Amino acid sequence: MSSFVYHAERPLLSDERSGLTRRGLLGATALGLVAGAPAMARAAGPQGQLTWGIHVSLAPSWFDPAETQGIITPYMVLYALHDAMVKSMPGNPQAPCLAESWSTSSDHLTHEFVLRPGVKFHDGEPVTADDVKFSFERYHGVSHELIKQQVAAIEVPDPRRVRFKLKQPWPDFLTFYSSATGAGWVVPKKYIERVGEEGYRKAPIGAGPYKFVSFTPGVELVLEAFEGYWRKVPNVKRLVMKVVPDEGTRAAALKRGEIDIAYSIRGELAEDLQRTAGISLKPVVLQAPNWLYFPEQWDPKSPWHDLRVRQAANLAIDREGMSKALFLGHCKVTNSIIPYTFEYFWQPSTAGYDPGSARKRMAEAGFAKGFDAGLLYCDASYANMAEVSVNNLAEIGIRARLQPIERAGFFAGYSSKKYTRGIIQGASGAFGNAATRLAAFVVKGGSFAYGSYPDIDELYPKQADELDRGKRGAMLEKMQQLVHDKAIYAPIWQLGFINAVGPRVGESGFDLITGFAYTAPFEDITIKA
Amino acid sequence: MSTPADVIRLPSPAPRFTALRTFRIGDFPVIPVLILGVITFAAIFANLLAPHNPEVGSLAARFKPPFWLAGGSTEYLLGTDQLGRDVLSRLIFGARVSMVVGFTAVMVAGVIGTVLGIMAGYIGGWVDQVIMRLTDTWLALPALTFAIFLAAIVGPSMWNIVIILGAVYWTRYARVIRGEVLSLKEREFVRLAIVAGCSKPTIMLRHILPNVINSAIVLATLMLGVVIVTEASLSFLGVGVPPPEPAWGLMLSDGKQGLMVGYWWLTVFPGGCIVLMVLSANLIGDWLRVKLDPQLRQL
Amino acid sequence: MKQYIIRRSSYSLLSLFLLSLTIFFFVRVTGDPATLLVEPGASAADIAAIHQRFGLDKPLWTQYGLFVWSLFQGDLGQSFYYQTPVFELYLDRLPNSLLLAFVAMSLSLLIGIPAGIMASVQVGRFWDGFGKLFTLLGQSLPSFLVGLVLILVFSVYLGWLPSSGAGTPLHLIMPAFALGWYFAASHMRLTRSSMLEVLGSEYIKLARLKGLPQSMIIAKHAFKNALIPVLTLAGINVVVMVNVAVVVETVFAWPGIGRLLYEGITFRDFPIVQGVVIMGGGMIVIVNLVIDILYAIIDPRIRLES
Repeated sequence: MSSFVYHAERPLLSDERSGLTRRGLLGATALGLVAGAPAMARAAGPQGQLTWGIHVSLAPSWFDPAETQGIITPYMVLYALHDAMVKSMPGNPQAPCLAESWSTSSDHLTHEFVLRPGVKFHDGEPVTADDVKFSFERYHGVSHELIKQQVAAIEVPDPRRVRFKLKQPWPDFLTFYSSATGAGWVVPKKYIERVGEEGYRKAPIGAGPYKFVSFTPGVELVLEAFEGYWRKVPNVKRLVMKVVPDEGTRAAALKRGEIDIAYSIRGELAEDLQRTAGISLKPVVLQAPNWLYFPEQWDPKSPWHDLRVRQAANLAIDREGMSKALFLGHCKVTNSIIPYTFEYFWQPSTAGYDPGSARKRMAEAGFAKGFDAGLLYCDASYANMAEVSVNNLAEIGIRARLQPIERAGFFAGYSSKKYTRGIIQGASGAFGNAATRLAAFVVKGGSFAYGSYPDIDELYPKQADELDRGKRGAMLEKMQQLVHDKAIYAPIWQLGFINAVGPRVGESGFDLITGFAYTAPFEDITIKA
Repeated sequence: MSTPADVIRLPSPAPRFTALRTFRIGDFPVIPVLILGVITFAAIFANLLAPHNPEVGSLAARFKPPFWLAGGSTEYLLGTDQLGRDVLSRLIFGARVSMVVGFTAVMVAGVIGTVLGIMAGYIGGWVDQVIMRLTDTWLALPALTFAIFLAAIVGPSMWNIVIILGAVYWTRYARVIRGEVLSLKEREFVRLAIVAGCSKPTIMLRHILPNVINSAIVLATLMLGVVIVTEASLSFLGVGVPPPEPAWGLMLSDGKQGLMVGYWWLTVFPGGCIVLMVLSANLIGDWLRVKLDPQLRQL
Repeated sequence: MKQYIIRRSSYSLLSLFLLSLTIFFFVRVTGDPATLLVEPGASAADIAAIHQRFGLDKPLWTQYGLFVWSLFQGDLGQSFYYQTPVFELYLDRLPNSLLLAFVAMSLSLLIGIPAGIMASVQVGRFWDGFGKLFTLLGQSLPSFLVGLVLILVFSVYLGWLPSSGAGTPLHLIMPAFALGWYFAASHMRLTRSSMLEVLGSEYIKLARLKGLPQSMIIAKHAFKNALIPVLTLAGINVVVMVNVAVVVETVFAWPGIGRLLYEGITFRDFPIVQGVVIMGGGMIVIVNLVIDILYAIIDPRIRLES
């Protein structure tokens, strides 16, 4: 056992040490059952334990909202330990949480938030407006410069009131404050000033439904229900998040009852778990579309320059078949590179799979015998999808060789525009709306746009200057329509991220918050009686 | 690292029918040589032997079992994989990949290691120090680190794996060869060559090299196994031979998830091929070791 | 003697310096950690902010200078991913790695030595062949496969052992076996050949002539002497094990050094990669230095060489 275990307080029973019975010592019972066994006193209040099998290594930076980077993974822990003024909740992407209500002045320069009364941090201290101000100023994660530049001053008229004074009207303020950054997540000022940054990292305290108990880097995080949580008293007493990097091992651990919830199970393993009694799959459609991109389309000498070739490629991809084969059919085919949940999303016609007419279009374009398309670049972790695409394209005569590249290298190459020939299989889960996606992937100068079309480029600054929501939306829809008509991309789908839960889990918390891949809100999770 | 005195071979035991003896005619490892022969044959004539394209499959034909099981057909003798590709064809083409990767990597490692080993052992002094310190610190850079470095710099490919494996395993040659050279240096024929006025490069090339080549060959047979297994492990970590190349290691690492579901043919066949190849190479290596050079112990 | 130690130590320092240089620049060629901390499509300002935060906006040589400077102060830097000092993370994982390597090595010797002895006293007979095949099988099977099959059999079907994690002796059994089996073949080979060598030596022949029983000769005389080279190899292999354990650590979710380095590389967590490689290199260099100096003390000829 590691010698460096961080303790916020004495752990009650670390699961390994709780095995006092012989069966427990043999590790033959689900650890959770052992811990949940003395549930004789069936009084109100949190009971039992649930154990997660996490697919990535847990990092202490995830215990601190000030560190939030532009990826979703830290939120799997933040939702348990902390709470935000306004955050995504079931049925409401901007739900009032620590803030009971808020208002915006008519000149759009002042946003005032009123704190919920009686809300406490894990150490019993009340959450005050000072904490909110402190948390905002302390925030140094993704987009911190952007959001801080917009704010001229933060006023605290009384302990339950915070006023953000902006330099200029900024309609996206609330979006950035609530979900695009971690700036609205509140940490205890007094506590951090007392224990220091280092101390806070080792024993974080928040206003979330679960308290930090212990963390062993690379092994597990143990949390315990915070009965003073404002929204409701959590149902489950203890949460243990174990790091189990190998997918097969996660599935085995779930089957054996060592864990109750397994993140990210794919293909055959998911198929097997589906057949296993007591285990159910919880697919979540991610806000991250995958696509094929044709960087040669602006080169008049390339076959891809011909619209019919790109349309043929679009028709050649068997999206549903691929989804069934690789993700048990849980992917959502939207035929767009913009997530369907995004603001200003425009729904194109359904993606067709028709190799016959694809071949016809190839013939019309003068490629009846097909052509050599060079390499198909992809992130190695999605090589299986790309393999199918390569096969699909080969069926209509577009012959490409797969070039899987390890993730960091792939995105570095993609964004530095190294892959000017061939095909790119890309994806993005970046936060934003239709406009931000178009800016990055379609419009001239976008960090992932290898070329652009003047009619689309022309619309972009116009929509950015448009203050009328309806008119702006119309322009953005027009742009998406052009992307579709020109077949700049061959969108594949929004990935169905499959998780699995064991027989003890009642409400798992999956898919309660739209597009969120992990379990949340934690206070809603239950164990079956 | 000096080498010990000759191993004195015990008188052979009374002829008896034993498990191992059936493997051999006289002392020659017939079966291992046959196995490697078949693999080589498959590798060379893969285009003619394979019934299907190893990289193309149809999603409609996924997870077909081998032909003797219910649901299997003679079209896919050993079944199909998760993308509907023919396992037999992939195994046949995989023999080529494994052979190319295995032999070339061992050659690369052997050449680098032997050259540096001879130089370190014969020239001695600071050359020896530099080379030996290099082999020491090399251990701190695991194969995986190399694999990602190279993949990131030049893009992943089968040939990168060859370079990686060669770059990782040359130190073993260097150590063994250096030890050999140290003892050869003291032998009469080398001293005579020095007296006769031969230059250092000549001595190394003409007198030392032919005498260590046996050890290098024996080591190569043993390293072949290590290299093949490492290649599979790199695939498991996602930095091996890139798909859709039909490498056995990649097939095994892709197919292992199916083991729990009962798609055993995706694991057993490529796994079996790897085991047969590595076992054969090792048994031949052991035989060669006794035949060529009974002094080689620390392999 | 003093002069030799000084010369030998300076060579070691030089090799560590070269290692630090190599790893520092190599790891920076592999890509940008910022691309992994944001989703593709994030704004350039966000990426620049990350660079600034990690000091990646400074010129390379400045970064290297800072790295070496803090290295001399015993500071390996702060991990990008964990936001924790690398040294702390390293020390945290080291006991796990050493424990796994130690137990795996014990298992490996437990398989390899008896197999080697049986093979040496029964050359060409059944046990020779069996021992050889069993150990060689361990060397031919990739450890991720061995690991997965062990989990399927002992965790899923039989339910005897926990599938993954660390904490109890039970957690150790499967990973240690998967790792140790792979090394058993080399220990078997060496035991076998050094036993054969010892059995052929003059004094064993003498013992035979004196009429000592065969079992006595093997147990008392031959085994003891044959064991020395085997244990030397085992010592070296423990170090190798710490480095190659990454596959086994991944399969069994064992929190060791190998996994730390692997994640460091995949997240482009430069300080972790640098730190782990330097620590590993440092250990190997020091072990070799100590061995060489000990040899020099025992054998004065080495000192005078060169």
